Amino acid sequence: MSVVTYGYAVWSPIIWLVVLLVIAAIALYVRSRGQKRYKKGTAQTDVFISGIKVPPTEQRHVPAHNIYWGFFEALKGFYSAMMRPHTGILNDYMLWLVAVMAITVLVLIIVI
Amino acid sequence: MNLKSFNRALWVYHINTGSCNGCDIEILAVLTPRYDAERFGIMLVGSPRHADVLLVTGPVGRSMADNVRRVYEQTPDPKVVMAVGNCGVEGDVFHEAYSLVGPIDQIIPVDVYVPGCPPRPEAIIEGVVKAWAKLETLARQEVS
Repeated sequence: MSVVTYGYAVWSPIIWLVVLLVIAAIALYVRSRGQKRYKKGTAQTDVFISGIKVPPTEQRHVPAHNIYWGFFEALKGFYSAMMRPHTGILNDYMLWLVAVMAITVLVLIIVI
Repeated sequence: MNLKSFNRALWVYHINTGSCNGCDIEILAVLTPRYDAERFGIMLVGSPRHADVLLVTGPVGRSMADNVRRVYEQTPDPKVVMAVGNCGVEGDVFHEAYSLVGPIDQIIPVDVYVPGCPPRPEAIIEGVVKAWAKLETLARQEVS
């Protein structure tokens, strides 16, 4: 196993492995000293939110798209117009492609 | 008190079910330098998941009943419930109020009652000692 020395530092995979094993051993020791009185499958292992009933995961998490709420709200008109033609059907997209190509060719013929 | 089975610090979770805060102030007085219950390892914690004792104040408003029940269920065993103050013990002057479903022992089983309006810190400390003794018994039963 090679040890890379830089003059001011040293890098050895063995040292990393030993460090990780020591950290894992400490973490396992701390965990083993933890609370063991919880009864699994009961409310004792539920999330505690000041005694409030815990809502399902999808209701208590903030999805990433919620961060863009203001953005979507401001551009609502644009999005509703753009989403209508986006049907998800390949035939529609091909029709759009052919139509746009036909218009482009027509414009090019007129201009040139 | 011979602590053999429950030989560690006593952690207490305090839940207010609609108290006027009189009892809550006295509970805090127990932790001030004058009484300093923390020197015995008795301390308030922020979650029932860490608690050995549930310390409940207030006459239990209708909207709090489920919360109290849930907090009780979320506390690991063995656990002891203390009702502190007249309101929690028997409803006091509010016992006929339409908005109440208490007192506390109507919602969850109570082990130690500390009456008073509000009870003095010495009374609360005595209640905690009784709770500790009860926990000692429960812990011994679990071991055997």
